[in-house]
Amino acid sequence: MDGLRCNDPAVLRALYKQHFPSVRAHVLKNSGTVTDAEDLFQEAMAVLWLRVKDGAMKEGSEAGAFLFRVAKNKWLDQLRSASHRHMRVVPIEHIPENPVEETTATEERLARLREVYANMDERCRNVLGRFYFQREDLATIAAAMGVEEDSIRTIKYRCMMKLRAFRRRINGGDEPIRP
Amino acid sequence: MNQSALHQQRFEAIEAWLLGTMPRPERERFEADLARDPGLRAEVDLQRENMLAVELGGLRNAMRAIAADDAPAQRDARAGRPLLLRYAAAVAVLLTVAVWWAARPTADERLFARHYVADPGLPVPMSVPPAGAGVSDDPVFHDAMVAYKLGDHAEARAKWAALLPAAPTNDTLRYYIASAALAEGRAQEALPLLQAVAADGGSVFNAKARWYLFLVHLRSGDTAAMDTVGLDDDPVYGERVRAIKSGRE
Repeated sequence: MDGLRCNDPAVLRALYKQHFPSVRAHVLKNSGTVTDAEDLFQEAMAVLWLRVKDGAMKEGSEAGAFLFRVAKNKWLDQLRSASHRHMRVVPIEHIPENPVEETTATEERLARLREVYANMDERCRNVLGRFYFQREDLATIAAAMGVEEDSIRTIKYRCMMKLRAFRRRINGGDEPIRP
Repeated sequence: MNQSALHQQRFEAIEAWLLGTMPRPERERFEADLARDPGLRAEVDLQRENMLAVELGGLRNAMRAIAADDAPAQRDARAGRPLLLRYAAAVAVLLTVAVWWAARPTADERLFARHYVADPGLPVPMSVPPAGAGVSDDPVFHDAMVAYKLGDHAEARAKWAALLPAAPTNDTLRYYIASAALAEGRAQEALPLLQAVAADGGSVFNAKARWYLFLVHLRSGDTAAMDTVGLDDDPVYGERVRAIKSGRE
């Protein structure tokens, strides 16, 4: 969980290697494609990641079972949609059925976070992504981009102020921030 | 706490607290402020969500890269590509080589490429400078300079060009619009601006403008125009100018 909390690439890769095959097998067995499976796994990873960030996953929780349950429920939702109504779903006996409500709020929050990210330009995504996601320091980012460290610090501040202005706009001025 | 503006120092304090990099005495003071200031709490919540938004974007990119690395099926498909497609690929490579040969750069263009290095730009201040009389006090000027330094030359040129009508003879603007145009490969757009700065003997950019003007003329193979620039005895550029000229002979 600590590795996921600090976006450790080795942990992300290990989760993919270990748990994507079961999601892919389930989707392929139920009229889906590899691309469907990849999209579902991405979404399930985002839900797991946000719950870890929020401290909502207990230490020792089984990440694989959680990922599979989220992916399976989302695939069921898609199969129930109009275009897939005629398809038959292979039942899965060994995964306990947990209520999906727990992930609904998380998914709504993910949608809001994605809206904020979509509002950023490419330069801000690059600088902020390196700093907050990859946890690179300012000197490393500056060296990689061939500019001074102070320029990166200024860019980071201005990009975050643009996001702040956007959030304040969608939240209606000084309204409290919706998490 | 003022809800409409967030000073850089305050932002960085919130950021350090959220990232867990704030030293202990400062952290204790910050947490005491946090306990009594609802405005600060709201600001912390907002910055936390914005940082999460950035991280979520990073997570998506990282997962896509992992999935792309792990695509043996696609590699297998490429290995089993039909013979006809391989012939088509070979023909495409040959055509590409032929087109490249026909459009390969001239000797002067190669000389230009060897000597042209984009101007590194001016230092960017840490905070937004106060509005003043000079164009280089304008925050838009510095935004453009940041874009220029990051290689977004078109964006920089557009921002600087928007400032030019208010200061049409400003040598700094003219020089950097020309530098951005040159970096984009738009030498003909850079030419009149470089000529204007090269004719302004009092400009601090005069010698640099003449050097780039010389290079623009070199690129187009205009020997007579190169001779009119008059940099042969310049203490900074003279040696390079003489070497280029003798190399062309």
